Amino acid sequence: MNFLTLSTLSLSLFILPVSAQTVQFNIEGIQHDKGKLYIQLFKGENNFKKGEAHNVAIVNAKKGKLTVTFNDVEPGDYAIRYFHDENSNRDFDNNMFGMPIEGYGFSNNAPVNFGPPSYQQMTFMVSDVAVINSSTVNY
Amino acid sequence: MQRREALKSMLGLSVAAAACNPFPALANLASANEDIMAQFATSFDKAALSNPSLIGLKSMSGDIPWQNLTIEGKLPKALRGNFYRNGPAVHQRNGQRYTHLFEGDGMIQHFNFADTGIQHRAKFVKTNKYTQEQAADKFLFSGPNSKLPGSLPVNKTDIINAANTNIIPVNGELWALWEAGSATAIDTSSLDAKGLVNLGENTRYSNSLKGLAFSAHPKIEADRTIWNFGSTVTGDIVLYHLNNRGITQKVNLLKTNYRGGMLHDFLITQNNILIILPSLDRDKTDERLFSAIRFNKSLPMKVLVIDKNTLTLTREYQVDAGFAFHFGNAWEDTDGTIRFDASLYPNCENLHHMSDLMRGKTSNATPANTVLFTLYKNGSAHKQTIAGISEFPRVYDHLTGLQNNLLVTLSSVKSDVWSDSVRVVNVNNGKQDTFVYGEDFLVEEHVIVDNSHQEGNGYLVGTALHVPSKRTCVNIFKIGHVSDGPICRAWLPYTLPLGFHGNFMAV
Repeated sequence: MNFLTLSTLSLSLFILPVSAQTVQFNIEGIQHDKGKLYIQLFKGENNFKKGEAHNVAIVNAKKGKLTVTFNDVEPGDYAIRYFHDENSNRDFDNNMFGMPIEGYGFSNNAPVNFGPPSYQQMTFMVSDVAVINSSTVNY
Repeated sequence: MQRREALKSMLGLSVAAAACNPFPALANLASANEDIMAQFATSFDKAALSNPSLIGLKSMSGDIPWQNLTIEGKLPKALRGNFYRNGPAVHQRNGQRYTHLFEGDGMIQHFNFADTGIQHRAKFVKTNKYTQEQAADKFLFSGPNSKLPGSLPVNKTDIINAANTNIIPVNGELWALWEAGSATAIDTSSLDAKGLVNLGENTRYSNSLKGLAFSAHPKIEADRTIWNFGSTVTGDIVLYHLNNRGITQKVNLLKTNYRGGMLHDFLITQNNILIILPSLDRDKTDERLFSAIRFNKSLPMKVLVIDKNTLTLTREYQVDAGFAFHFGNAWEDTDGTIRFDASLYPNCENLHHMSDLMRGKTSNATPANTVLFTLYKNGSAHKQTIAGISEFPRVYDHLTGLQNNLLVTLSSVKSDVWSDSVRVVNVNNGKQDTFVYGEDFLVEEHVIVDNSHQEGNGYLVGTALHVPSKRTCVNIFKIGHVSDGPICRAWLPYTLPLGFHGNFMAV
């Protein structure tokens, strides 16, 4: 390892705590305690479209409201989507037409209105302050 | 992606909301910045001042308790039971009006025929949508065709389920039907809504049928076995076989390329299900469900023949371009020749006429005729037209899927708003037994009531709105003597909104 690389690495380690932030995501309107919630954090629209999550949280369902926190999130644009795996089959269940039959939602509480919200409706920026975002479950 | 597409297309809506209006009369309304629902309300209210026939398209403010009706003539002793009808009864709230007749909240009209006479009551189906909007005293949700500024999110079709099209008896309860979503279970005693029917509950299908479209025209065989379909604008058609207790036995999904956006009724024979795909396309740039539908005269109607045992497609026919909301009956010969009738339109003007009516405009939409189709085993088809305007066809219940000789339809001699006549047609020789209520009446679906299982026996029962007196009446005809007029008529003291379909449950 040469000096330049070492310096860069040291610099990164030094900067990371300053620039990376926490993203607190509040999920409201959870109907019951059964099952788990799967929450995916995506970095950028391309990753969202590809379904490649930057981070994932899996938490036990809790009636009413719960909060998950993603730590050390680097600056950039992000989006969150989640679903309530009500029957604990580790899958987001749909009916025969492909319509969701379990609870789900998106960051910014982006509305599902005759179709899913766009990435632009659910995206939020992470910069130099902590982020707090919320959503109510669509059942 | 498939999930997103399904969600996007469930009501036939595009996320792109470009306004494109082919109807010159509506051209000035199509602006994203205008509240078209408010314009429809203003236009209708103004037109209603000078056109009394529009009275049947006004809204009801609430439920109606039991009351005895004034009877003319004599109620037949053999006619005892309950006549239920369903139809949209809230078209307008707080200065905004739906842009299509199919969108209003369903209200159940209940007529009880007893030794003591005829009683009537009415109750709105207390759907989630109705309950919220009634409390708010304004519309909260967009409808399939009406875009409400500031609408609450519609994340599934059942959010705006209006339960407004038909009502059928199933295993001791009633199901109020709306073709884009679930059936709503109704308590027969109270008429209270019990909730949405999950067709897969307690079956191997579990929740996979939850929220699926279940059409408003199930076919119920003599043994009460139920067949139905549901469709999406992306061409997915689900087929249902339910037993006589309403328990799902078998379901299958057909992937078709039909994108017409309107598939209202279907047929069964003894061995097959017939799905008739009309000659319709949709303007993909128009986000409204009904107003985006276009007739395509170069597109033949398709008849999909589906085996009842497997719910799979076995044959397909093409017939001349046309459009039908309703079919009366189908049956097949021993050699496999299939016959069915349709109230067939040469275009889809009537579909848009029902949008025009909502802003108070009557138009001369081309009416339907009864057309008898024959589909031969060799793939050829033949059709024969019966004279006279035809809609709301019905046959004897016990002949559903079997050979029928008689067909009941509404008809129209003069009215350009609604039907003004009822008739019984002999499909073998074309003979018609017709009663013309006259221009003063707006005539609704008439149903056959018969316990003998013999064509030609029994009664016709149906409602009509008398415009000059602003009263609805229920009428009883003796089948075989329809042209003599009703043998009994019971008057309500008020107007009922024009409705769609219903059924008589004899006791």
